[in-house]
Amino acid sequence: MSFDAIVRGRTSGGRLLFTTITALSLAIMYAPVLYLLLASLNPDAQLGLVPPSRYSLKWYFALLDDGRLAGALKESALVGLATAALATPIGLSAALAYRAMTRLRGVFLLVILSAMFVPGTIEGLGLSATLRVVGLAPSWVTIAIGHLLWTLPFAAVVSLIGLSAVRPSTIAAARDLGAGPIRAFVDITLPLMRTNLISSFVFAFLLSLNEQARAYYLAGRQNTLPLYMFGAMNSGASPTIYAFSGTIIVVSVAVVALVFAGLVGQQSRRPRQAPGKTSY
Amino acid sequence: MPHEPGLRESVDARWPAGFLLALPSLAVFVGVGFIPLALIATWSFWSFDPDTYWIKPAWSFASYAALFENGRATVFLRTAGLAALTATASTLLAVPAAGLIGLLSGPRRAALLLALFTIPFFTSGLVRAFAWRLVLGRQGIINNALMSLGIVVTPVEWLLFSDFAVLLGMVAAYLPFAIVPIVLAFARIEHSVIRASQDLGAGFWTVFATIVLPLVLPGIVAGFLFVFVVAVGTSMEIQLLGGAGASSISIMINDVLRVVNFPLAFAIATVVITLLTVLIIIANRALRLSRLFESLGI
Repeated sequence: MSFDAIVRGRTSGGRLLFTTITALSLAIMYAPVLYLLLASLNPDAQLGLVPPSRYSLKWYFALLDDGRLAGALKESALVGLATAALATPIGLSAALAYRAMTRLRGVFLLVILSAMFVPGTIEGLGLSATLRVVGLAPSWVTIAIGHLLWTLPFAAVVSLIGLSAVRPSTIAAARDLGAGPIRAFVDITLPLMRTNLISSFVFAFLLSLNEQARAYYLAGRQNTLPLYMFGAMNSGASPTIYAFSGTIIVVSVAVVALVFAGLVGQQSRRPRQAPGKTSY
Repeated sequence: MPHEPGLRESVDARWPAGFLLALPSLAVFVGVGFIPLALIATWSFWSFDPDTYWIKPAWSFASYAALFENGRATVFLRTAGLAALTATASTLLAVPAAGLIGLLSGPRRAALLLALFTIPFFTSGLVRAFAWRLVLGRQGIINNALMSLGIVVTPVEWLLFSDFAVLLGMVAAYLPFAIVPIVLAFARIEHSVIRASQDLGAGFWTVFATIVLPLVLPGIVAGFLFVFVVAVGTSMEIQLLGGAGASSISIMINDVLRVVNFPLAFAIATVVITLLTVLIIIANRALRLSRLFESLGI
C-alpha cells in the first residue's frame, strides 16, 4: 500500500477539520487508558491521580504475590502460543492458496474473513456445545481451538500482504535455475516473508491473549487472564486490577508497536517494483 | 500499489496447488466455524431434556416462539439500535480520519496514523472498556473537572452505567473497523482524477464532495457494516459500562444458559447468525467487498 498526499495546497479549512476530528478520535481511543495508567501509579487505596513525586509501583509489586493471577497467566500463555503456532502456518497456507487460485478467490477470501464477524459469544456457545457432544472436555485445548478460528483471518491477511511483495519474477528465476516449487518456496518466499510471519504470530498471540467471549464458554476450571480480570473488575476493584490492566496494555502496545515498526522498516527497505512490468 | 494482472500467472500448477493449500484453512472454517453453527441451528429445534440437563431430539418450534416472550424481541431491537448508533458515530469520525490519512498525508504520516488507529485493537478490550469507568465515574476525571470548575454541584450520574457510556466505549473500541475499509477505499482513488479536477479549478470541498465521496462510498458502507456487525455481537462494554438491567443479545444468551435453556440459546444464536449472514451477502453483492482488499495489493 502506498500513500501520497494527493491533495496539496489550500483546503478551505478541510485540513483543520479533518485533523481536529482525527485528534478527537485518537483521544477517545487513548485518553482513558492513559488515565488508567497514571491512576495505577497512585499508592493510595483511593482512586485518582497523585502528583508525579508520589508515583509508586506498589500495586505492580503486589501483583507478584497473586497466585490466581499466575495460574491465569500460564493458561493464557499456553492458549496464545498454541493458537499462534497453528494460525501462522495455516494463515500462510491460505494466503498461498489465494495467490494460486484463479477462480473463486474472492469467495475464498470472504469465507476466511467471515470468522472475524461471528460474535464471540455465539461461536463460543456453538463450539462448546459441539465439543461436549464430541466428548472433548473443556481445557486450554478447547480454548485454543476456538481462538484458532478467531485469529486465522488476521494471520491470513498479514501473510497475504507479505506475499504480495514477493516478486513473481524472483520465483520464476529460481525455477528457471532448476529449483523445484518447494525449494523456491523455502529459499526465496519464506525468507522474504520473515517479518510478516513474525507479525502474524505476534498478532495471533495477542488476539488470543485478550479474547474473553469465546474463552468464557470454552475454558475448563482454570481461568484465562481476561476471565480472571473480568471477575476482578466486577467485584469491588482492588487497586491491583489497575496495575494489572496497566501491565497488559503497556506490554501489548509495546509489542505491536515493535511489530509495526518492523513491517514499515521492511516495506521501505524493499526496492520498488516497476509498475506494469512483469516480463519473465 | 496498482494490481498487476501478471502476478496470478506466476504459480504454475494452479488449481490443484491452490486447492491443497486452501485445505487447512477451509478445514478450520468448516470444522470450527460452520459445523458448530449448523449443529446449534439444528438443535434449536430440539427440546430440553430434564433427565440429562441437555437436549433431546423432540422437534419443536417452542424456542422460536419464546423469542417473542419476556421482552426478548425488545433486547434484539435495542441491541440493533445501539449497534446502529455506534456504527453511525464511528463512520462519522472515520471518514475525516481516513481522509486525513488517504488524501492529506504523505506516506510516513499516513502509516503512523494508521498504526495509531490499529494498535489498540490488539490490546485488551476489557481494559479499554474498564478504563472508561475511571473517566466517567462519580469521582472520575470528568466529574471532578466539572465540579471544580463549578459547572455542576453534584456529580453527573448519567455519564457512567448508561447507554451513553456504552456508546462511547463501543465507538472507542470499534472505530478501527470503520477506518480500515475507508482507508482502503481512499487508496484506490486514481490521483490523476483529483489532479484533473483541481487543475480545472475545483476547490477542496468540491473535489471532496463530488469526486472523493462517491468513490469511497463502498468503503464507508463497509466500515459502517463492520462496526455494526461487531457491535451487535459484543457484550463486555455493556457488562462493564451499562446501567442496571442493560442487556444485549450476547448477555441474553448468557442469561438463558444460566437456566440451562439450551434450545432457546441456540435459537437466539441462529437468528443472529442468519441475519448477519444475509446482511454480509447483500453488502458483498452490492459493494464487491472483496475488491477493497485489492488496494492492499494482494
